[in-house]
Amino acid sequence: MQRILAQARKELTQLVRDRLALGLALVLPVILIGLLGTAISLTVTDIPIVIQDLDQTPLSRQYADAFRQSLTFRVVTLTPATSPETMLNKGRVRAAVIIPEHFARDIRRGRGAEAQVLVDATDGNTARLIRGNASLLTRAFAQDVGPPLPGGMIETATRLWFNPGRVPRKFYGPGFLVLALSIFPTVLATLAMSREGEQQTILQVYVSSISAHEFLLGKILAGLAVGLVQCLLGVILMLTAFDLRFVGDPTPFVVGSVLFVFCMAAFATLVGAAIPNQAAAVQAVGLGAFLLAFLLSGLIFPIENIPDALRWISYLVQARYYVLVVRDAFLQGGGWPAVWWAVLAIGAIGLLFYTLAWRSMRRMQVKA
Amino acid sequence: MKRLARVLFGGRFWALALKELRQIRRDRRLTISLIVPPTLQVLLFGFALDSDVRNLQLGIVDESRTPESRELIAALTQNRTFQLAGSYTTPAVLGEELGAGRLDIGVVVPYDYARLRTRGRPATVQVLLNAANANTAQIAQGYVEGAVASLNQDMLASRPPPVALRTAFLYNPGLVNAWYIVTGVFGTLIILNGSLVAAATMIREKERGTVEQLLMTPASALEVVTAKLVPLFILLMAMVGMVLVIARLVFGVPFRGSGALVLLACACCVLTGIGLGTFVSTLARSANQTQLISFFINPPLAMLSGGLTPIEAMPKWVQPLTLFNPIAHFAQIARSVLVKGAGLEVVYPNLLALLALASLFVGISAWRFRRQLS
Repeated sequence: MQRILAQARKELTQLVRDRLALGLALVLPVILIGLLGTAISLTVTDIPIVIQDLDQTPLSRQYADAFRQSLTFRVVTLTPATSPETMLNKGRVRAAVIIPEHFARDIRRGRGAEAQVLVDATDGNTARLIRGNASLLTRAFAQDVGPPLPGGMIETATRLWFNPGRVPRKFYGPGFLVLALSIFPTVLATLAMSREGEQQTILQVYVSSISAHEFLLGKILAGLAVGLVQCLLGVILMLTAFDLRFVGDPTPFVVGSVLFVFCMAAFATLVGAAIPNQAAAVQAVGLGAFLLAFLLSGLIFPIENIPDALRWISYLVQARYYVLVVRDAFLQGGGWPAVWWAVLAIGAIGLLFYTLAWRSMRRMQVKA
Repeated sequence: MKRLARVLFGGRFWALALKELRQIRRDRRLTISLIVPPTLQVLLFGFALDSDVRNLQLGIVDESRTPESRELIAALTQNRTFQLAGSYTTPAVLGEELGAGRLDIGVVVPYDYARLRTRGRPATVQVLLNAANANTAQIAQGYVEGAVASLNQDMLASRPPPVALRTAFLYNPGLVNAWYIVTGVFGTLIILNGSLVAAATMIREKERGTVEQLLMTPASALEVVTAKLVPLFILLMAMVGMVLVIARLVFGVPFRGSGALVLLACACCVLTGIGLGTFVSTLARSANQTQLISFFINPPLAMLSGGLTPIEAMPKWVQPLTLFNPIAHFAQIARSVLVKGAGLEVVYPNLLALLALASLFVGISAWRFRRQLS
């Protein structure tokens, strides 16, 4: 135990002496979470659209006004010489609403008028949002101007749970907390480990009386300390800039965070022990920690949409489980009954990484 | 102009360029890092990132248990957006399942649903939506209301609605998300891999001290720099060709516009990447440092490019920053030309910006490299 603590203290001293690395380790995660957590969103508001009103009647203008008043759309004026299609082609607008001639007459005669919306579908998600919102506006307009509907209609009363304002940053903020914790503690711990190999100081470890378990645990303990400080900074950011609160029981989050940081530190020592070259080790971390956490953890895009052939990999990605735990702690508040299995999975993957790291270190011998 | 021509076609330049080419060819790791990561990345991103909203887990509390209520449930579950996950006896149980994350959406049909409808009074159905993910929630809400509206319309079979909206999806009628992601990630790949490779070859001379040898040759600094750039440029353009082939064959991205225009944009993007890499390598003292610096520059550069998520969805203060991001301009060009079939008259502002950024980065890095040489 004493030797573990000594090893951990040596690691932390080494980190504190490197002012630049320490500063970066504390500042960069905050910047990354703050910048990307607020900047990344799929939900476009203020979508530029153009309206071509071929009818030019009070009723058609009333319909156009419905789009003007909506927060989702921003109506751009159509200059006389251009057609809506060229505006779409040039990328000035994302959609064009075309109100046909005799629009008002058809409505009055009860024949049913038909407006058209041309949507730039290059971005499928935004296209779906535009269709949904435009249909909603049109249905509301139809109820206003049409004859009163007969009874027996179905009405929906929608309750938005967990994020009633549909604020994107409340969803992406916790996601980028996970991403930051996947990258920064891992890179630092990997560098600390592969440096021993690169500068041959690992020989001093081999000749000392420390055992492989003690050495690894010392390294991981130091990584754990750094990672938990970064986690704490991230949580403070969640509570202030991202307007989130712990809903329900925070203990799964605390346990999950400790296990996750342990898991990443174990992964880092594994990579650092296997690759005694700092540049190559960082590249491996970039692939293993950053890319997998980014692509296969449900951070931005749902995991369910990944084709089956790739999706099984996501079961091995610890960040996938931690994303669930963090979002549950800040948004859903399901507590232990909801996420016990995810916390367990993080622990299991961490144990696996530790075992692998120990296997590569256990002989405490210079590799031939 | 004359000087440049002499530099390009003088024997010294070719000798140096040939030396670079041989050095790159001998470095097996560099060649592999130009082929394997871009291929893997474009495939992974294209397949794994899909914002489509489908198979949302739908839970039902049907207190009515009538043909009418079953008709409503069928209307909700007949498309692939919602998948019926289970029926529950009370709204409380439904709420618990929603809180535990096992359901995405819950629908409660009241006990008097059918009676109200036959008596011609409005019946209210409660929809509980897990809105943690704002985007999914908004699209799911649209689907529910659309399904309910079409049920209502069925009741008034004889009477058309006063106004109907017909939607036409242009350019990508199948809403294939991979077209958006692949064209967006393309620029990221060029810049990231270009800067990595450029930084690696530049820093090597520095680390091994062979810069001294370069200084001893009669070649001028300009010749040394261009001889370093040209082979890298050719190699990276080969990588671009490979990515384009994958985009066409694997993801079926339509190549509607002019291929020459896309290649021109790719060339600008490659130059920007090389310039960025060279710049980073002049800042750093060792390969480790370049790796670390790129590791911290690249994720924000890639994320704030509009390559993966729309720029319009970013906060207002972030949007102007993307004007300085070469990846953002390249994504705009790639999408306009490949998917929308636009020509030069549409994309020239982006192309000019890309050209400006490319000459800026190459200029700065050449200047710094020359200063290091002398």
